[in-house]
Parts: sequence; structure tokens; C-alpha cells
Amino acid sequence: MERAVVLRGLLLASLALHSAASAAEDHLAFVSCPIVRDTKTVPCWLAEHEGETYYLGIQTDVSAPFSPPSLGHKVLVEGEKTDEPRICGGIPLRNVIVSVMPERADYCQTLLMAEDRYTLPFESPRPPGPSRGRLAFSFPEPEKVMPPYKSRSFQLRYDFDGTVGFRHPRSLVAVMEYASQINARSIVIKGYRGRTILSNGEALTEREGLAELRAKEAANLLQGAGLTSPEYVVTWDDEPQTGDASQRRIEISVDP
Amino acid sequence: MFRRLPGAVLLGSALVFGAGVAFQVSAQSEPEIAARAGEREWWSPGIDMTVPEMLTYSNSWGELSIYTEGAPIATKGHAFFEPIGANGRACVSCHQPADGMGLSVASIQQRWKETKGKDPIFAMVDGANCPTLPPGDAASHSLLLNRGLFRISLPWPPRDPNGKAIDPEFTIEVVRDPTGCNTDARYGLTSDQPRISVYRRPRPVANVKYTTHQNFGVSPFIGKNGLPTARDPETGRPTSMNLMSDARFPTLKVQMRDAAATHLEFKGRLTARQMSQIEDFERRVYAAQVSLVQAGSLVEPDGPPAFGPRNLARGEAGVLGNNTTRFVFPMGDAWKVAKPSETPEQRAKREAILRGQDIFMFRTFWIRDSMHLNTVGLGNPTKRTCATCHGMHMTGMDAANGWMDLGTTNLPWAKEVPVNPWTDKKAEMPLFKVTCKAGVPAHPYLGRIIYTQDPGRALISGKCNDVGTIVMQQFRALASRAPYFSNGSAASIRELIDFYDRRYNIQFTEQERLDLEIFLASL
Ligand code: HEC
Ligand code: HEC
Repeated sequence: MERAVVLRGLLLASLALHSAASAAEDHLAFVSCPIVRDTKTVPCWLAEHEGETYYLGIQTDVSAPFSPPSLGHKVLVEGEKTDEPRICGGIPLRNVIVSVMPERADYCQTLLMAEDRYTLPFESPRPPGPSRGRLAFSFPEPEKVMPPYKSRSFQLRYDFDGTVGFRHPRSLVAVMEYASQINARSIVIKGYRGRTILSNGEALTEREGLAELRAKEAANLLQGAGLTSPEYVVTWDDEPQTGDASQRRIEISVDP
Repeated sequence: MFRRLPGAVLLGSALVFGAGVAFQVSAQSEPEIAARAGEREWWSPGIDMTVPEMLTYSNSWGELSIYTEGAPIATKGHAFFEPIGANGRACVSCHQPADGMGLSVASIQQRWKETKGKDPIFAMVDGANCPTLPPGDAASHSLLLNRGLFRISLPWPPRDPNGKAIDPEFTIEVVRDPTGCNTDARYGLTSDQPRISVYRRPRPVANVKYTTHQNFGVSPFIGKNGLPTARDPETGRPTSMNLMSDARFPTLKVQMRDAAATHLEFKGRLTARQMSQIEDFERRVYAAQVSLVQAGSLVEPDGPPAFGPRNLARGEAGVLGNNTTRFVFPMGDAWKVAKPSETPEQRAKREAILRGQDIFMFRTFWIRDSMHLNTVGLGNPTKRTCATCHGMHMTGMDAANGWMDLGTTNLPWAKEVPVNPWTDKKAEMPLFKVTCKAGVPAHPYLGRIIYTQDPGRALISGKCNDVGTIVMQQFRALASRAPYFSNGSAASIRELIDFYDRRYNIQFTEQERLDLEIFLASL
């Protein structure tokens, strides 16, 4: 997260003090309209929950781990409340995951103008226009695999109720590269769907059949991209997995 | 008007030779046209000449050059220039050098007049609103004559590269069929082999190392939606998916086979020799503006590295330019300070071009509800610039798989004729109603029901999210190939800028419009 990168120094001390119990207490999960606030540099994204405003993150570019949500849709926000100084008027959340809810919500249209009192306390990794010659975030090159070859597992995470999207090519390419490097004999894919318990106690469950859809889709994508020699074993568990955003996933095991 | 560049004068003999051949027919019937031959040289199929290294043509903004790298090419017996099919057309019919290797509506109208509608570009197969209409009547060719549009007929449902039918995520109905083709018993959606007709502009066949690059953004999976990338059938390698309005052909070879079969009505298969002739020419030809009225030459030796076809030939293909280290269209320092040789008018125009480039790169606005841009991690809306979508160095295309929904073909933004009791004006474009099937996620911005004049990429992918997404064209030779956008809905560069101003509520000032316009015209 861009916030994590910039605020790391500040956060370390408070992080150390956090006990597991208070982390659970600080855990927030809610669905509301996202709010975008312009600033002198890039816009920042907020959401309101029970009369409080939370800061989600800023606009950067496609390389960022945090992708801002969408006006015209509600957003599912999952993260931990911090006692860090407010950013753009909102309380920062740690490990925040936002997920654009698929249905239209035309009334979610709040765009707040830039105000001098709301300035980002850090430099944006990417200006609101051309970059400085590199993407905001970079990723390590995958290391060369040496025999003896082992099975390796990969995980693909999804937006709430979501299937494949712009964030998946990176993981899918990693699967393909590993599979071709080890000349994989089989690809085992297991699909899941998630259930999130919201802070108000309600359960938000992903649509039925999604575990199967995700698993089959991934197999089709890999085969469609040319990874046809391994044998595919595709299974799913459509029983909703209660927990955080990591439950909205598939597991892929690439076996030599 | 303006001075011809010294280089152009030198090449004049080649021009006159080419034009002379091309204008023999018309000169007999309409002598006043012949007088204009020096201005707008039409290349007829079967033209017999040697394509010189540099050809220069005038347009209303100044001059354009076509640069053919390497050894001169003889057009005689060359598959790009010969009418190899049944209808007398060649590739060059619709990819004309004077029109930046595209085809302007001005040329189309001129050909209509000169040949009384007999030029092969008006062949009924796709040069008419529908082949069922009476030939020779201007009304039968209104989309071509008014907006420069050819009919593109695509199978429905679409098929994957192995020929297997794709199960589309949506159903499609014909709401309005002014051309008659989409409801026609033979050509339409209810025929034995259902097809959909959409109407599109020819795209420039030049600078193709940029449109077919193997560089940034080319991956086994499409960066916008994670689906598998179309691969080159010969090598199995992923492609940049930047050809045609809908990226339906992965390579030039696959494209040319279809172009020959459809546009040229060529029966059989192109030979290996014909294919390599076409690809060889396509890969060697570069097109760009070289001078601008009052601004003078754009291609002085120390001039801005963005300009002119030689710089395109030299440029790095398939790299991001949406940054301050490389730039989409690098201007360099040459024009930053006045030169003693510059006239005041020249200085003023050059400064306007520089300001236009700045607007393109740095003038922010809220980009909103645009599929495959707002959905790729930037948020909706996102505060960005023209260069956000148009980021590829030297062409201003998207680096790879550059289809997005700008609203050029989807309602409510697409150009529509007002419907009211006080006008008889009829819509010219077809209108389709797309309904996303139950169980498929609705389109994030347009919902479950979408009205569109051209579903674009969705006619190939069958995806709801792709409805109305169009692969952007290169920002080159714009001054020579109006109108703009794949459906010709912007008659001029000015109208194109106005479209963006409405679409994203940019609130350009008059000065910003003028600067952006002259900048785009200089590319
Ligand atoms: C009747 C007019 C016409 C003729 C003749 C014609 N084309 Fe085209 N060409 C088009 C149109 C229209 C498009 C855009 C179609 C679309 O976007 O779906 C196009 C697009 C192209 C493109 C894609 C360019 C890009 O960057 O996307 C190439 C390459 C091309 N044509 C090559 C050829 C070749 C080679 C021939 C001869 C075999 C040919 N064309 C003959 C009208 C024509
Ligand atoms: C959301 C992405 C997006 C933004 C922002 C954007 N464009 Fe485009 N542009 C497109 C797409 C998509 C097309 C192709 C549309 C079509 O042909 O129907 C296009 C096409 C064009 C073309 C090519 C026209 C032709 O016929 O060759 C030009 C020129 C252009 N845009 C200029 C601009 C300018 C100037 C701006 C800033 C004011 C801008 N664009 C902002 C997506 C964008």
C-alpha cells in the first residue's frame, strides 16, 4: 500500500504495541458509498461508516496494490482502524482491502473539491498525470527455478462476487512461467467463495456457484493462453468460507 | 498558401508521374479536376510507378510525407497496389498515401464526382450502406460519402480462433436499421448465417512497427481483463492486439487475408509471395505531417523528435511515453527559444504547438465511466490527462490491447440525430440494443441494457464489458484523414476536441482548444 510505504516509520512503533485482541476490535468491515476528495496532487478516497470517515488510499497507477473504488457503486471496505493522524480528513485503515460491489448504486456520487486543509502528508508515488519514468510500484523478477522441481502453490484473490480482472495477469503469468520452467505434469485448481461478517453483524456472502466458476475460468484462461500440456484437475468447494478478503480466492498447485 | 519543402520539390517528378497515370480517366470526363491533380494525388489500383523514398502531399494544415524506408518499391505486380480481386480494388484504394495511408472523406467525395460513382471504392460489397440498395445512387452510399464509413460484416455469435462459436454474455437486437442491412434476409441478424453490419473508417496502414510491437504490455494475458491474449498463429506468441477497431486480427498476415477476401472480393488464398509483398510494404511505410501552415517545417534537422516520418522510423516501438523521461510525443529543446531565422508568425505557431503538447500531457480532467480505463486500478473517476489513455511513445495509442469505451459508439455519448416532431432528419447509423444475460455481471457503468451504434470489441469477445469499446488509432497523419473516430463521428479535429470536452466536462478554454488542435494537426 502506498500509505504503508510512506508511513512505515511512523507506524512501526504503534504496530508493535497492537495486541491480537485489539486488532480484532479494530477490524472493520462495511459497505458504503465511496467518496473521492480532490487534493492539490492526486485524489484520495474515503468512505463513511457509522458517522466516521475513513481514509482508504490515493490514486496512483495500475501497478499499485491499492486500487481506488468507483463512484456509482458501493464499496466493501475491510481493514483495521489505526490511531494514526487523519489523511484527507479520514482515519487511516491498516491492511485495507476495497472491493467494488458489482451492482450499480447511482446515488454514490460524492466528489469533494480540493481544500487547502486537506493535503497529503506524503509525496504521491505517482503524480495525477505522466509518471517520472517508472510505474509507481515495481515487482521483483521471478527467480530461476533449479531442479529438483517441486510443487508450488499460487493464490488468486478476487473482488467481492468477482471473476477474472485486470489484477490477475500478474499471478497467471507467474503460474504459466513456473509451469513451463518445471515442465509441469499437472495443474490442480481449487475454487472457493467467501463470506464476510460485516461490523454490523450482517453476513455478506458471495453468489452461489462462484467457487466453480472461478476454478473453471482459471483453467480456461491458462489453457487459452497456451498452457495446454499439463493435465488439469479442477475442483471447488462452494461452501462459503467465512473470514476476510483472502477467502475470495482460488488455489492453484503446479506439480512437476 | 505555404512554401513546399525543398525535399518535396525534388520529389515532384515522382508525384506528377503517379498522379498522371491515376488521373487519365477523370481528366477526360472532368477537366477541372485535372487541374487539382497536383494537390491531391489519387492512387488507382494497378498504378505503375516506383514508390520513391519520400512523397509529400499538401493538406489543409500543411504537408504530409510518406516515407518508404529501404529500397524503392515497384507497384507493378505488387499485391498492395494491384487489383487482385473481382471488384477492381487494391489495398491502396482505401489506404491512400495522400490521406496518410487512410482515406479521407474529402477524397471519397472527390472520387464520387470524378468517376460518377464508378470508382471501385464504391463497390456494393462494403462501399454501400447495404449491397441490396440500388447501385450508383448517392443515397445508397451515404455513410461512405458523408462519414467515410465502410460496412464491416461480422458473424454473430462470434467464433473463437479455432472457429468454435462463443456463447455471448448478451443478446443483441436491431433497434434501428437505416441501411436495411441488419434486418436483411440475406445479410442480417436473422439470416441463415446471422451477421451484424457495423460501419467503420479505414485505419492508417503506416508506422506499423508501433501497432504490431512485441514490447511493453504484451503478455499471455490481456492487461485490462485477464483474458488470454490473441496469439500469432505462426509463432504462438502473444500479440499487442492493437489492429482494427476491435483487435479481431492478431497479425498483419491474418488481417490481409480477410481484407483481400472481403474488401477486394478476392477468391482463393493469397500466395506467400503476395503476402510477403504486402507485409514488406506495410512494415516499411511511415506517415506523418512534415510542415504546418505558418509554423513552417516540422522536420528541420534539430527539430522536435516527435515529428515527421523519419523520426517515426527511428523511434522505439512499443514503449510507454506517458512519463517525463520519454514523452508520448517528445518535443526536445529545439523550439524552446526563438531562432533568428523564425518569423513572428512561425514563432507564435510553434509556441502554440508546444502548448498543445503540454495540454495533451499535463492538463488534468476527471476521466469517468470509461470501461477498461477506470476499471484498471485508477479508480472512477480518475484525475488524469489525455496521455493516460494515449500513452504509447510516438503514436499516442494504448501500449497494448487498446480498446476502451469512450462513448463514441455507446449511448448516451454517441452522436445521434435529435428525434422530435419538428425535424425530418433521419438517423444514418444503425442502433443495437444489447441486453446482458442474467447471471452475467452487468456493465459497471451502463448497466444491463446498452444502446450502441457499434458494439466494437464485444462483437468479437461476446463480453458485456466490451460493448462499445474501440481500439484507438494512432495520432498520425490526422490532418490528412478526417473524419475521426472509428465511426467518423468527429468531422474535424475541432469536433474531436469538443467531443472530449462534453464527455469529460473538461471546460477547455478557447485558447486550449486552438493549441490542442494545432498540436494534433502537426502529428
Ligand atoms: C474498401 C476499403 C478497404 C480496402 C480495399 C482495404 N482496406 Fe484495410 N481497412 C479498411 C477498413 C474499413 C479498416 C478498419 C476496419 C475495422 O476497424 O474494423 C481497415 C484496416 C486495415 C488495417 C488495420 C490498421 C490498424 O492499425 O488497425 C490494415 C493493416 C489494413 N487495413 C490493410 C489492408 C490491406 C493489406 C488491404 C488489401 C489486401 C486492405 N487493407 C484493403 C478498409 C479497406
Ligand atoms: C478514457 C480514455 C481516453 C482519454 C482520456 C482520451 N482518449 Fe482519445 N481515444 C480513446 C479511444 C478509446 C479512442 C478510439 C475511439 C474511437 O475510434 O471510437 C480515442 C481516439 C482518439 C483519437 C484518434 C482519432 C482518429 O480517428 O484517429 C485522437 C486524436 C484522440 N483520441 C485524442 C484525444 C485527446 C486530445 C484527448 C484529451 C483531451 C483524449 N484523446 C483523451 C480513449 C481516450
